[in-house]
Amino acid sequence: MSYYEFFCPVKVIAGQAALEHLPYEFSSRAVERPMVVTDKGVRNAGLLDKVLSACEEGGMDITVVYDDVPADSSKQTVTAIAKEYRKQKCDGILAIGGGSPIDTAKAVNILVSEGGDDIAQYAGSGVLKRPLKPFFVIPTTAGTGSEVTNVAVIADTEKEVKLPFASGFMLPDAAVIDPRMTLTLPPQITAATAMDAMTHSVEAFTCLAKNPLSDAYAAAAIKKISNNLLKVMEKPDDAERRLELAQASTMAGIAFSNSMVGLVHALGHSLGAACHLPHGLCMSLFLPYVLEYNLEEIREPLSELLLHLAGPEIYAMTPRSQRAEESIATIRKLRDDLHRHCGLPRTLQETGKVEKSQLDRIAQMTIDDGSIMFNPKEASLEDARAVLEKAWA
Amino acid sequence: MIRERLRPLASQAKRAYVQLMLDVVGRSLEAISQVDDEVRGEVAVLPDGFLFSMQVMPKGPALFIRKQRDGSLQYLGGGVAQRPDLSIQFKHLHHAFLVLSFQEKTAQSFANDRMLVDGDLGYAVRMTRVLNRLETFILPRLVASRAVKEYPDNLGLPEKVFSAARIYLKVAMNFVDTVRSS
Ligand SMILES: [Fe+2]
Repeated sequence: MSYYEFFCPVKVIAGQAALEHLPYEFSSRAVERPMVVTDKGVRNAGLLDKVLSACEEGGMDITVVYDDVPADSSKQTVTAIAKEYRKQKCDGILAIGGGSPIDTAKAVNILVSEGGDDIAQYAGSGVLKRPLKPFFVIPTTAGTGSEVTNVAVIADTEKEVKLPFASGFMLPDAAVIDPRMTLTLPPQITAATAMDAMTHSVEAFTCLAKNPLSDAYAAAAIKKISNNLLKVMEKPDDAERRLELAQASTMAGIAFSNSMVGLVHALGHSLGAACHLPHGLCMSLFLPYVLEYNLEEIREPLSELLLHLAGPEIYAMTPRSQRAEESIATIRKLRDDLHRHCGLPRTLQETGKVEKSQLDRIAQMTIDDGSIMFNPKEASLEDARAVLEKAWA
Repeated sequence: MIRERLRPLASQAKRAYVQLMLDVVGRSLEAISQVDDEVRGEVAVLPDGFLFSMQVMPKGPALFIRKQRDGSLQYLGGGVAQRPDLSIQFKHLHHAFLVLSFQEKTAQSFANDRMLVDGDLGYAVRMTRVLNRLETFILPRLVASRAVKEYPDNLGLPEKVFSAARIYLKVAMNFVDTVRSS
């Protein structure tokens, strides 16, 4: 008999004119002087302005904005932002962006709530024992799901280690999902981040910690991505479908934060670190091959997923014994279609940034990555190396 | 009226079993780290002096292991005041019992939120592999394949070291029967 836990206390505010709900949400937590944490990309794309003017119209002037979060956020960045927060006497945080601004804001919230200047002292899981300051998130990439995960990773550049933080208290009070925030996402980033969300769902649905609640979120997210991703690639300004992808990303985030991920992420973290490739692309490169590797352990759930990946007609037409293979074929086809649309690489070789001589080291890093713990099939160094070989060309 | 509740026999047996098995695991880890290349390979990456612990919350039975400079592991018993670099904490005695009586795989127990891992997750993955390797040594094949995801077929057993552990285990297994029948 199985046992599971499921936790997601984040209020989701999604849909048309969702941004305009921000002033009310701030007031419901008695926030009068929020600090915005974001990056230059968000500002330059005009997304920050959309948020600020929605708040202004609602009678709330936001004056404290930190827009300089780097792609790999460090301890120093967190300390600097926390200092500014205190100086400006802010009383809440609004993160706008992808993974990096959101992770940074989570860490800043720990410091400004618990005190001190060194975020490293709060690293680990279960360290926090009480709620933090009011915290809100607006994701701008439909992929990471960070708005609903209880983890953050911050680099300690002096000691050259990554500091992990995990606590339910790091979850935001609300995540605001507005189609305007992802409307201008360039095609390759749209494709890669959607494949990240797809991988979160597929791994949540097939790995060791799967459970009925995370399954429901994962399956629904896969359906949304399958139905909308290619249509968005054809027509990038389709706000309705953009919203579908953004919601799918949040749903996938809820799924995997409650059931974890597996070998695709272990390989992807390692490849990303070794060759500096975007996370979503790494997911897309490994997903089909890891499913092949895991196949006999996950035949049943993977067969079920065909319904959501390919729709009821194809599901019904495919003999039961072939459904798992057909699921993998559908994901491969999606990958090839994305390549046609926006040139998203299909193989390690095609990225042009991976040397074959690096594969041994990537395999070694893979079996030391925490995500491998939850993969349904044990993977040795040789196994990881074999999957990398398959993904090569 | 205040009445002191007596701890039931099954629970006492469970506690004794967990305590005994942690001791068996600790001693066997020390032994295996001296002879088995695979375990030595896994452990090699850990920093010298690395302190690993498995504990039952709150303040239950525990085991502490330290990595030695010569690359082996030293069993330190059940009580060390120092904060471990990596700890696996079972949320309840029963969860430790499930894992240590090989009814639930270590990775599955973690996946089921039955234990907390504090420390570097990469090291936790390594220690899980070491524990799996250990189980394949001290358990009969049938039980071991339930306790680990995959049973390796390249076992070169240093038999002598583990025959003692096996006898120990047999005694311990009686506890499982005691607990199950009550
Ligand atoms: Fe991911």
